[in-house]
Amino acid sequence: MISKVKHIHALTSIKRERVLPVAGHVLVRRMQKVSPADVIVVAPLAPKFVLLDIAQGLNVNPVRADELLQRQAGEDLVQGDIIAGPVGIFQRVVRAPQPGIVRIAGEGKVLYEITSPEFELQAGMEGTVTNIIPERGAIIETKGALIQGVWGNGKITYGVVQPISNDMLQELVVEQLNIGFRGSIITAGYCREPEVLKAAGIVPIKGLILGSMSSELIPLAKKIDYPIMVIDGFRETPMNKAAEAILIENKDKNIALNAQELDTFRGNFPEGIISQSSTSEPDLPSEAETLKVGKKVIIINGPQAPQIGEIDKIISGKQGLSNGIETKLVEVRFANEKSTILPLTNLEILKD
Amino acid sequence: MDKTIIAAKSVIAVDIGSTITRSLFFDVVSGKYRFVAVGSAPTTAGVPHFDVTEGIWRSLEELQFITGRVLLSEKDGVIIPSTPDNKGVDIFVATMSVGNPISVVTVGLLDTVSLQNARHLAHTTYANIIAEISLNDHRTSSDRINLLTRKRPDLIIITGGTNNGASQSLLSILESIGLSSYMMDESQRPHILFAGNEQLQDEVKSGLAKISKLRVAANIQPVLGIENIQPAQKEINEVYKEIRIKQTGGLSEVISWTEGTFTSTASAFGRAIRFLSEKYEPEKGVLGVDIGSDATIMAGAFNGEETLRVFPGLGVGSGSGGVIEKNSLELIKRWMPFELSDQEIQDYIYNKSIYPSSLPLNVEHLEVELAVAKQALRYAAEQTIPSLAKQLGAGGTLLPYMEPIIGSGRILTLAPKQYQSLSVLLDGLQPTGVTTLALDQNGLLPGLGAAAEANPLLTVQVIESSTFLNLGTIIAPLGVARPGTPILRIRVNREDGRSFTRDIKYGSLSVLPVDLGEKVSLHLRPLNRFDVGMGGPGKSGKVNAIGGVLGIVIDARGRPLQFSIDQEKNRKRNETWRKTFSKYE
Repeated sequence: MISKVKHIHALTSIKRERVLPVAGHVLVRRMQKVSPADVIVVAPLAPKFVLLDIAQGLNVNPVRADELLQRQAGEDLVQGDIIAGPVGIFQRVVRAPQPGIVRIAGEGKVLYEITSPEFELQAGMEGTVTNIIPERGAIIETKGALIQGVWGNGKITYGVVQPISNDMLQELVVEQLNIGFRGSIITAGYCREPEVLKAAGIVPIKGLILGSMSSELIPLAKKIDYPIMVIDGFRETPMNKAAEAILIENKDKNIALNAQELDTFRGNFPEGIISQSSTSEPDLPSEAETLKVGKKVIIINGPQAPQIGEIDKIISGKQGLSNGIETKLVEVRFANEKSTILPLTNLEILKD
Repeated sequence: MDKTIIAAKSVIAVDIGSTITRSLFFDVVSGKYRFVAVGSAPTTAGVPHFDVTEGIWRSLEELQFITGRVLLSEKDGVIIPSTPDNKGVDIFVATMSVGNPISVVTVGLLDTVSLQNARHLAHTTYANIIAEISLNDHRTSSDRINLLTRKRPDLIIITGGTNNGASQSLLSILESIGLSSYMMDESQRPHILFAGNEQLQDEVKSGLAKISKLRVAANIQPVLGIENIQPAQKEINEVYKEIRIKQTGGLSEVISWTEGTFTSTASAFGRAIRFLSEKYEPEKGVLGVDIGSDATIMAGAFNGEETLRVFPGLGVGSGSGGVIEKNSLELIKRWMPFELSDQEIQDYIYNKSIYPSSLPLNVEHLEVELAVAKQALRYAAEQTIPSLAKQLGAGGTLLPYMEPIIGSGRILTLAPKQYQSLSVLLDGLQPTGVTTLALDQNGLLPGLGAAAEANPLLTVQVIESSTFLNLGTIIAPLGVARPGTPILRIRVNREDGRSFTRDIKYGSLSVLPVDLGEKVSLHLRPLNRFDVGMGGPGKSGKVNAIGGVLGIVIDARGRPLQFSIDQEKNRKRNETWRKTFSKYE
């Protein structure tokens, strides 16, 4: 059986596409080095239009209104510029309500786009631009540590990673959130109290990476204005050992945290990237591999998640679980030599 | 369309689900079409493959292994048509449900009339309505333009105006739609489906065809009070196909194998139920329900007329979080026979939504999944009942008399005990009168629906071949009484002349021990003016029935099922019901 690889790598090559959904102006060039805050493309993501009824404004019919138009599609205007008129005894005119551009004009109407601030898409990670996607964005590549999550609150940031303690075994509590974490992206085992998320916002921290989180916090976490990424799932368990080791080893280094929402259909996972200068040239990580004996795996669901082990044996045929479900099972051995039997479906491959 | 049994015999129907891809093989056995085998593999539409052909290939490999028939060639892929030495297959059809729901803006004149029609249409496919525009909303033209350019929907459904009815007010909305489409990137312009006043079709075409991907269908409401959804439903299925081709790696290749016989799983499922309705009792409708990982489908049909409703984001895998969000944890908990903390239940459900392929490891977590399935079905039923009732000329909020009711979906087919599948259908749907609950244990319905287009004979013959597992005949009397009041006397006459009589009390759930497949005659005598569908309250009657896996189930718990605000009482009652069933399996 082919399994998805869960990306938790101390050093790997990372390639990400950063694009806008609408056409814009790309500001970077190929082979340019970028920092997370560098803007790579700008575009009017939410343009604002006004449909001006010129005929009504001038109190004439649409044909006459078109004759009285002073502007054509594409013309930039400032507030108060005359668009059509004057006409009549009172010299009626229609003026530009705000700075903007005439987009369409005719049949007695003008579609006018009000100038609005352009959306700036940042690189979101350190790296090198390896390809330009015309009018949309760029592909950025880097080398470094990669930690993939399973849930994010849709926000993005960049900052220094600060583990809350020397291990990620414990619950994050309000008392741990001191001024020393201000402006940091903190990492912790798990969180279950809403007060913790609120208190972290008051410090304020820049971002939060958790091993797991109580699902009761989801509605609040979505509203919190700093990024939150959950690596393993919804429960009260310590962070998986592989992610924990990487985050502790990279203490005080910069991490690009993209807590985007999970969308497996589009391949969007929340993730943290810690760029590193390295003379080695690691390959891009494989996305899927065959589950077989000797493979390192992480348990993704059930009471033993998110423990890491190694496939010791693949049991032939379908076997029954204690609840009666019949499925393909494997024996997974942990570092302490204890082992457990689990469905293949409850595992993902972990690569060093 | 002329691919008859003479020209083409074997058929593979592939269904690309959000978690699993299944390949069904049908062939002629002893002169009639039969279902032969199924192969399955994880769907590969999303990460890490982004190519649906991978999952199809693996499911076909399993099918090859099971049947011993060579279906694949390293050089040519799927072997179509079959060769004289019995390799390959003659017809390949495909259905698909994987993918994010398409985003839809509905447009109509009035909220309660045309917008309602547009919603019905949108709900016949995997769609989320992200905004609505009508004359009631008091938006200016500028507001409408800004709404559409910001939302960037995949599809705009325009309805409104009966034929010869209102036109000017609809034209003003169409102007905003045209302008907003024009302002979008050409690659991002939405599909537009116009199913309104037919007198406006020419103006719509001249105004919108050049600046959008326009489709025009017959008016969804040609006359006030008459809904004619099927022509527009056909068009929306084509739009679904075009959007999915653009979004899904490998789908164009799959469609090339099918010679165009590709449709959404929901549409094919609905078509299969429509076929069934032409086969069964004309006075009752047939109901099909599919509880998938991400979506739930309800399809009712009555004499060939279909009511289809799709609920994306409401399922037992990736859609399980949606069951909490559309309902509440309390509504899910009321189905639980075990005590688990709120946090454990909710955490389990959300973990399931991020790891939809993972399996429950213990009985408690299996019961959480069954409870999610029941509530997903309950929600879907409550939303669909008004349309079904209207179609059947019934009223009220209860499921109208339907026979049979067929359940589909892995939560039902993989349930370790068949009473678990039956209880999901029974509790979720809460059928009334006398009906049969059946299980589509091989997940054939979408495949049969898709195959019906290329080879209707196959669909008819496979349906006739008793392909569904009879879970049980259900008798659910309607009425109100105090718990413990006798409400039905039932006499069961066996074919060998033996018989027995039971008195049924209000509030009870009981099983009459009739063997699977055993034919019996039931004499139903309702007491206290209860109604068992024999022509009115208190009316007695005879009905022939066939024993299912659970024999004959008398569900005298009342409709709709009532719950206590005390969860412990509900839990104990669920445990009693569970024990009632488990004794008989």
